[in-house]
Parts: sequence; C-alpha cells; structure tokens
Amino acid sequence: MQEKRLLLSILFAVVTLWCGFVDNVYASQASSKRVVSLAPSLTEGLYLLGAEDGLVGDTTYCVTPDAAKYKEKIGTITNIDLERIVTLKPDIVLATSLTNPKTVQKLKDLGIEVKIFPAPKDFISLCDQFIELGKAVEKVTKAKEIVAVAREKVAGIQARTAGLFKPKVFIQIGSKPLFTANKSYVVSDFVELAGGINIAKDAKVGTYSREDVVRKNADVIIIVTMGIAAEKEKESWQRLRALNAVRNNKIYILDSRKVCGPTPVTFVETLDKVASLLHPELLEDRK
Amino acid sequence: MSKGVVRWTTQILTLMGVLLAIAGFSLCIGSGSIPIQKVIHAIFNGPRNTEYSILFDIRLPRIILGMAIGGALSLAGVILQGLFRNPLVEPYTMGISGGAALGVSLAIILRLYQSIGLITLPLAGFLGAILVIALIYTINIRRKTLKIQGLLLTGVMISFISSSFIMLIMAVSRAEDLHGIIFWIMGSLEEPSWFLIKLALFASLTGLALSYIFWKDLNALRLGEEEAAHLGINTERAKRALFVLASLLTGCAVSVGGIIGFVGLIVPHLMRMFIGSDHRILLAGSFLGGASFLIFCDTLARIIVAPSELPVGVITGILGGSFFIYALTKKGKTIA
Amino acid sequence: MLEIKGLTCGYDKRFHLKGVDIAIEEGSFFGIIGPNGSGKTTLLRAITRILKPERGEIFLRGKNIWSIDFRELARIVAVVSQSVSTDDLNVGEFVLLSRIPHYRGLQFLETKHDEEIADNAMALTDTFKFKDRSMSEISGGERQLVLIARALAQEPKFLLLDEPTSHLDITHQVRILDLLRKLNRELSLTVIIVLHDLNLASEYCDRVALLSDGMIYKEGLPQDVLDYKTIEDVYKTVVVVEKNPFSLKPYILLISEKERLKVRKK
Repeated sequence: MQEKRLLLSILFAVVTLWCGFVDNVYASQASSKRVVSLAPSLTEGLYLLGAEDGLVGDTTYCVTPDAAKYKEKIGTITNIDLERIVTLKPDIVLATSLTNPKTVQKLKDLGIEVKIFPAPKDFISLCDQFIELGKAVEKVTKAKEIVAVAREKVAGIQARTAGLFKPKVFIQIGSKPLFTANKSYVVSDFVELAGGINIAKDAKVGTYSREDVVRKNADVIIIVTMGIAAEKEKESWQRLRALNAVRNNKIYILDSRKVCGPTPVTFVETLDKVASLLHPELLEDRK
Repeated sequence: MSKGVVRWTTQILTLMGVLLAIAGFSLCIGSGSIPIQKVIHAIFNGPRNTEYSILFDIRLPRIILGMAIGGALSLAGVILQGLFRNPLVEPYTMGISGGAALGVSLAIILRLYQSIGLITLPLAGFLGAILVIALIYTINIRRKTLKIQGLLLTGVMISFISSSFIMLIMAVSRAEDLHGIIFWIMGSLEEPSWFLIKLALFASLTGLALSYIFWKDLNALRLGEEEAAHLGINTERAKRALFVLASLLTGCAVSVGGIIGFVGLIVPHLMRMFIGSDHRILLAGSFLGGASFLIFCDTLARIIVAPSELPVGVITGILGGSFFIYALTKKGKTIA
Repeated sequence: MLEIKGLTCGYDKRFHLKGVDIAIEEGSFFGIIGPNGSGKTTLLRAITRILKPERGEIFLRGKNIWSIDFRELARIVAVVSQSVSTDDLNVGEFVLLSRIPHYRGLQFLETKHDEEIADNAMALTDTFKFKDRSMSEISGGERQLVLIARALAQEPKFLLLDEPTSHLDITHQVRILDLLRKLNRELSLTVIIVLHDLNLASEYCDRVALLSDGMIYKEGLPQDVLDYKTIEDVYKTVVVVEKNPFSLKPYILLISEKERLKVRKK
C-alpha cells in the first residue's frame, strides 16, 4: 500500500511538472508577466492573445472588450500617472509613440521594461508589431496564428477585388484642418488593399486641401469620426455638387475607434467593410 | 536697524519653513498615497521598496525641479518688474519663452532628438532663448544706451512672431511630432534626467546669488533711471546686467520645464504685499515664495484629476490669479 | 568750484544750450533763471550727467565730471528733481535710499550712522514726523521738503534743485528757500537752484545767471542782472523793477494789460 501511494504521488508530481512545462497555448493560463498597456489597440491585442490575466493596468480609453473597462486605470493615452504604474509593479509597459518620451525614460530609469509600439505604417508592420506584442507577453505562437489567419483573409479580399474597377478614395480623419492618411499611416491600407486608390497616398504631410480632392475628383469619400461631427462634414462635402463622390452618393462614415487603433482582427473586419463599400457589386455576388 | 533685521530674518525663516512644509506635503501626496509612517519607514529601508521608489524617484525630483524653476521664474519676475517699473511685466512677456518654444519645435521636426537624445530639447530650448535675448538686446541698444521700454515692445512682438512660426510648424508636422511639441509647450515638472535637474537648481541658485550684487541698483531704480543715476548708480551697467540675468534665468527655466506662466508675474507682487519692496528681502523672498508656490501647484496638478495630470500652468494661472485678486481687494492697496 | 566751459548740448541734434560759460564758487547760492525753454533744465541735466555735451566741458573741483566715478559724484552732488515717482515707499525708506552712495563695499544693512544722518536730514526739513507715512499720502509742499531731506542725507557739498517751489504756496516757498539759505550759510553747502520766480531768485541768490535761447544773457549779482530793460528783452514782457524795502534787492512788478494801456494813453 505504501509503495502504491508513493508511486501515485511521484506520478502526480511528474504529470504536474510536465503540464507546467508545456507551452499551453489554448488554455487560458495566466501569463507570468504583469503588463500595463498604454493604448486601446494594445489592450485589445492582449485579449486576443489570451494574455488578459497579466494585464494589471490600462488607459481610460481601453473599453473594448468590455472586461477591459474594469482593469485598473493608469491615465489616458498621453497623460500617464507614474505612481499608479509603479504601485502595480509591472514587468513590462507597452507604450506607443504618443506616450510622452519623458515618461518612457522615467519608467526605464525606475527599472521597468518599456516596449514602444509606434503607429503602424501599413498592414505588414501591423502584423509584425502584433508578433512583437506576442513576444513581449510570451504568446508568440498564438500571435503568429492570428496573424496568419488575418493575412489569409486579407489576401482573399485582395483577390476578390483584383479585377474590379479601382475607385479613387479620399479618407478624411480630421476636419479643421482637413486631415488625411498618406501611405505612412496604416489607415491608407484600408483603401489600397480593398481594391481602391487612396488619392492622398503620396502626400508629404497629413493636411490636405479640399480643392485637391475636387481636382482629383474622388469617387468615394470615407469620413473617419475622430472627434469631428461626421454628419456636418458629410453635409459640407455634399455642397460640392461636381464631385463624383457626391453625385454618386458615395460618402461613408466609419467609426474611428476600430479604424485608428486596429489589431489584425479588427483590421480584417474593417477591410471587409471598406471593400463592400467600394465595390457594392461584391455584395450582389454574395447574394 | 535692528528692528528691520529682526523682521527680515523672521520673514526669511518663515518662508523657508513654508517651503519645507509644502515640499513635505508634496512628498506625502500623490495618487499612490503613502501615509506618513510609511514615508519614514521607506526612507530607512532603502531603494528596494516600491514606496521608496515613488518618493525618491518620482516625487522628489519634481519637488527639486519645482524649487529651481519656481525660484528662477519669480526671481526673474522681480528683476524685470524692478527694471521696467511696470507691474504687468513677467518673464514670458519678454519673448524669451517664444524663442525657446520655437527652438524646441524645430528640434522636434528636424528629428535632432534621435541623434542627440533627451538633452536635445532643453539644449534647443536654451539656444532658442539665447538667440531671442541677443536679438532683443541688439535691437534696443541705441547710442550705447539700452532703451528699457523698447525691450518690452520688442519682446512682445517676438512672442507673437514665434507663436506664428510654431503654429506653422505644428500645421505641417506629423502626429507624433505634434504631440511632442504640445507636451513640451504645456509645461511640466516631470524630467527624467537628474543631471538636468541638478543643473537647473545650480543655475537658479547662482542666479539668486548674482542678483544680490545688484540690490542697491534695484532699490535705487524704484525711483526711476534718472534718480537712480543721481544716487550714484551706473544705470547702463545695471540695466544690461539685470536684463541678461533675468533672461538667462528665464531661458533655463523654460528649457527644462516648458512654458509655466504666471509664476513670474504673481509671486513678486504677492511678496511685495507681504514683505515690502526692499530688494534685500524681496529677491530671496520671491525665490522662496516662487519655489513654494510652484511645488504646491504641481502637487494639485497631480492629484485633482488623478490618474490624469493637469498641466501645471493651468493651476498656476487659476490659483495664482484668483489669490492675487483676493489679496488685492483685502489689502486695499494698489500696485504702483 | 564748478566750472562750465563752452557747453553745447541738447536733445537729438537740436541744441538747447550753445556755448555756455559759467563759474560757480563753492559755498555760494547760485540761481539759474530764464523764460520757459531757455535751457535751464538742460543746463542742470548737463551738470548732473544725464545729458552728454556735444561740445564743451564741465569741471568739478578741477576734475572733468565725466571722469569722476558714479558713486563718488553722488557723494559730492545731490539733486532735487521736480518730480520723483516713489511707488509705495514711505518717507523714512525714501530718505534712507540716499545713503546708497555711502555704502562701503559689501555693506548690506544701514549702519546707525546712516540712520542718524537720515533722521537729522528729516529733522532739518521738519519732516521727521512723517517718517512712517507713505510718500503718496503727504501734501505737495511736504513732499518737496522730503525730497530735500533725501538730498541732504547724501551729505553733499553741492545741492542742485530744479524749480523746487514752482507749484507750492507762498508758505512753503519761503520755508524751503529759508531752509536752503540756512544750509548754505551754516553748512557751506553750495546751492545751485533753477527758479522761475524772479523775485525769489533776487531775494535769496548771491548770484544769478539769466538764460535766453540757450545762451547766458547776463550773469552776476541780482541787482546787476535784474533791471527792467534786461527782463523786457529776455522775457518780452513789460515790467517795473522796484527795490524790496527790507532787503533792498530788486523787486519785479508785473504790469497787466489794462495798466499798460493806461500808461500808454498818458
């Protein structure tokens, strides 16, 4: 009897140890690292990777998914409370290029690891960054999986829109002054990868003139609400009767939260939406 | 004589006491609140502690920088108000902050940041300030005389011109650069580099010591340039030296802390109301008063909307301005 | 001895003084008179180094005043200007400011000596009772006396005054000039005073210099300078000069238009 018990105990111990060593990607096992996120897109990314248990603090803007609202708040995207972060004793802080560099330096001086995720330039860097995120929280495999799925879906959308007519699109992100996304901002890819042409692709800076939009005669205008009254903007565009987009009534409004801070998953969702806006015939095909 | 000395000594000691009290208060208050017992415990337990880290790595640097910048700005304010005999003059009407802000904005969009590191911005700010000082000075030296009123006008004009240039830069900059510029302009006592903090403190205290060389000149100038000359003051030398001193103090303050307004305007006036206009007490008094005031405002800025932080310039403006109006009505005195 | 030789100066290329020569003995009570715009104040400013001369030189005790150190000059010459802005100073503080030229090196506080001198000066001018009052609270006449007290506290050898009595009532006019004469006689203080009132100048000054259009028209004893012809030439106004029954000094009487017409008719 005693030997049986001993054997069982050893077996039990071995199994436990073995389970502990496996990189269990599918179980919602708590990540050993304590993480503070300084951007909604990074917070969302952590939830996608299943690393939310390690998330000890995020910003007041991190409201998706719902559970993120209940995490300890450490400030806004630009305005961080150092003391709260230090009290949370994080292993790593995930920052963006919008974080005050002085705060970043201060955190590093306090011995806290900081990883900066600059605004992604395009879909490719978005994916690379997501994998970096995975590395930072030890969820690389899952990250690579998600990215692979996203790439596949994007390729699919590109294929579907390949032979179709490419409309000229203007993406409006800000109103006073008129602000758009050129090719160094991931938002541009929403148009380019959905079989459209971003008329501001090669612009040097983000400010754009309404005249140029008229000169290039945009076929579609996509207004991304980011603190601007989108309906008002739509009305002011509609006054330009000669504009193709106005004549064909192709002025659309997208919610900024998804568009401006995308994860690979939300990128695909938005891309799909944009594709159907630019190519209504695709919807017809599906019917 | 002894009556005056006793009174002055009491005043200085009181102000020092106030500064220490406010610094202590600031050390104990924050969003990660630490009760007094823990503060003492943390001091003795050393660096391993989270509390120690919060106290000494986050709060203490801000307090010291607040002392340096608050002191420097108030001192510059006293000197300038003494030179111009105009109660509305403060370090920022001189256009120096405009030059500093322009320097910083240029450094940000030209990406000089990457090559030189965090010292770049304060350095660029300081250089911008120096250029503006030199410009204002040269424009206003006529026939070996420094025209005081001209300094003020030129300063205000340069302020406007710099603001326009900065807005131009902001219009063509990328989002991250824009944020960088705005952060800097909003003014903050958060500074990671101990080197810069120590430098600011050193510059500030040196400025205080140097200003005492001119206490006679400043006292005499209260009667106007002509009368001061009658009293044996070399007014040309005094004007130049004081202008440069006040400008350098402002330049240092602005390059490290960004634009924190009102301190240089309000504190000297408040100090005059409470301790009089004799510069022997007013110089040190304003320094201490300014230091206390800024640390206090910074503490409020940190806790009012925690976890967010208000720009300290907002607090100095609202608090300073309101208190000043209150004090003015209470005393019934008018400023010169 | 204050010597002015060939002084030409003014503002912005316009010269208010052209080739002025004066010698003022130490210990004398010297008056500078003349119509408005004749250069009286300009002359005073040249002597106090506010204005730099275009041509000519000024010597104080044999030395060119421009080569004398600022502080040293302030220990010899004190100036009572017409108006001084004093923001919120009180009388005692204001008078103490005059001790600044006497501070030694790193001296930071007033010594007992400084305070005594200031108190004496206020006593002499009968303004000691205002010591703790604010400068803005006292009357014009009292203020003028305080300005003089301040100048006296500088312990000067030369006292320069720019029209100290022009806006005061006769009580204060007499009081101030009596005081100045007393100081002149008892302390051997050289008084150089710009006056607009010819009678005061006549009564109190040992010598006067009459300025006209930036030049010395006449200089000497009051009875020699102030005759009706000279005054009419310079002031372009008809006057009658009588003798003061007590001091026997010239006394200038104005003739109003009404009287002038009467005289003409005769």
